[in-house]
Amino acid sequence: MVRCQKVSLVYPFRAATVRVLSDVTFDVRCGEFVSIIGPSGCGKTTLLHIVASLLAPTTGEVELNTAGGSPATSMVFQENSVFPWMTVLENAAFGLEMRKVDKAERERRASGMLERFGLAGREHAYPHQLSTGMKQRVAVIRAFLSDAPILLMDEPFAALDRQSRMKAQLELMELFGSERKTVVFVTHDVDEALALSDRILILSAQPGTVIAEFPVPLERPRPLLPEPGDDVFEIRREIYAALGLTSMLAGVACAT
Amino acid sequence: MKTVRSFVAGAWLIALLLGVWELLSRGRILDPLFFPAPSTLLITLVSLTRGGILGRQVMYTVERTSAGFALGLVCGVVSSAVISLFATLRRAAEPLIWVLYAVPRLTLLPMVMLLVGVNDASRILLIALGTALLMMIQIGDAVRTVNRDYVDMAVNYGASRLTVIRKVYLPACLPQIFTAMRISFSRALVLTISVELLSSDNGLGNMIWNAWQTFAVEKLYVSVALAGALGLLVQGFFILLEKRLVPWKDGVA
Repeated sequence: MVRCQKVSLVYPFRAATVRVLSDVTFDVRCGEFVSIIGPSGCGKTTLLHIVASLLAPTTGEVELNTAGGSPATSMVFQENSVFPWMTVLENAAFGLEMRKVDKAERERRASGMLERFGLAGREHAYPHQLSTGMKQRVAVIRAFLSDAPILLMDEPFAALDRQSRMKAQLELMELFGSERKTVVFVTHDVDEALALSDRILILSAQPGTVIAEFPVPLERPRPLLPEPGDDVFEIRREIYAALGLTSMLAGVACAT
Repeated sequence: MKTVRSFVAGAWLIALLLGVWELLSRGRILDPLFFPAPSTLLITLVSLTRGGILGRQVMYTVERTSAGFALGLVCGVVSSAVISLFATLRRAAEPLIWVLYAVPRLTLLPMVMLLVGVNDASRILLIALGTALLMMIQIGDAVRTVNRDYVDMAVNYGASRLTVIRKVYLPACLPQIFTAMRISFSRALVLTISVELLSSDNGLGNMIWNAWQTFAVEKLYVSVALAGALGLLVQGFFILLEKRLVPWKDGVA
């Protein structure tokens, strides 16, 4: 469980101060998948760093109820998500290594997971020999292997092309289905949030604060893209409205 | 291996120049007294090697360079590690390192001799100083440019301070450390030979100076060529070593 209580972050910039986050309050239940959507620069990454206790909030607090697991969170970054100097296997097993799981055991678990997700044969490759999509998938596998009950993902698939992204999303859904973790997922992509989440939070532009919340009333497994006639089409429109992007859905008339 | 292959591919130009030189010297268009033909130099090289003098002089140079380099490397790496652990110390030490680095090393030779004496210890000390300073500057720079994401990631997975140094900082800095080592060794070799030219009764530098003083032109050419070959050999060695120990290098931004 994640509970954010009036989290604010202010940092000094030249003579003034910049308010990055303002009274961000939300809960994520155990085993829930929550996405956070917001415009660029609204402090989504900063918020995740605070939840991961890599950064202290100026005011407010974060409570993580994790039933004793330590560390409580595993993060997946958008870029630099794998260590360039470790092989795929070492990267995937890094979380277990930090938990002092012995080498044979962690390699067994990591290679099992890599094999399950089509990365067999690449265990001893270095990240520079992989595509961006594969790197991100390795990072996601590492997060799920780490034993941390809460996973924090910072636009992990934003840099991928559409096909690789859908593949990575499907894998994430499969892992989420089988491993039962709590996930906080930051994204720009409304369709991605709809495909993956139980609930979607909308953050406003700087200073970031939660301005709307949408439950996603879809069963799992569900299609990655909404199909015409789904209830989700209405929610999608409302999310665009909350983001102030309604006009974009309408398109632009072309002069002929 | 690619490095070796591209070097071999470029060797035809060297061969061509040597061939032209040979013809010009044999045809007396170039005065053989000043420009002895490469084939003559090869004979000189063989006869000098047979006498065993050449090997011994080269060994003197190699020993001084290696001793100074090794001492400087250890001091440089240890000092860098200590400095990087304490922010206050680092801020104080950095300007000092830069000031010392800016002084041409060779000009310090008389001072070091004044303090340590006219012996090999002072020569090795000077070489070590040069190596240590360059290593410290390069390592300081490498540590500063380590991507924050990797540190955050390791900390997030519960890595201790020591583990972060071992698992993130060290491997992240390794490529730059290797480059620094390669440059340092080349500089150390240059410095050794310069010191030997100025104040030594053996080594390649001394041999070059003696050859000049006695107008032994062929010996002069051979010792200069040897100094070059030695530098090349060391460069190659470090490049191969780096390929072995830093297999992920292509992927480090």
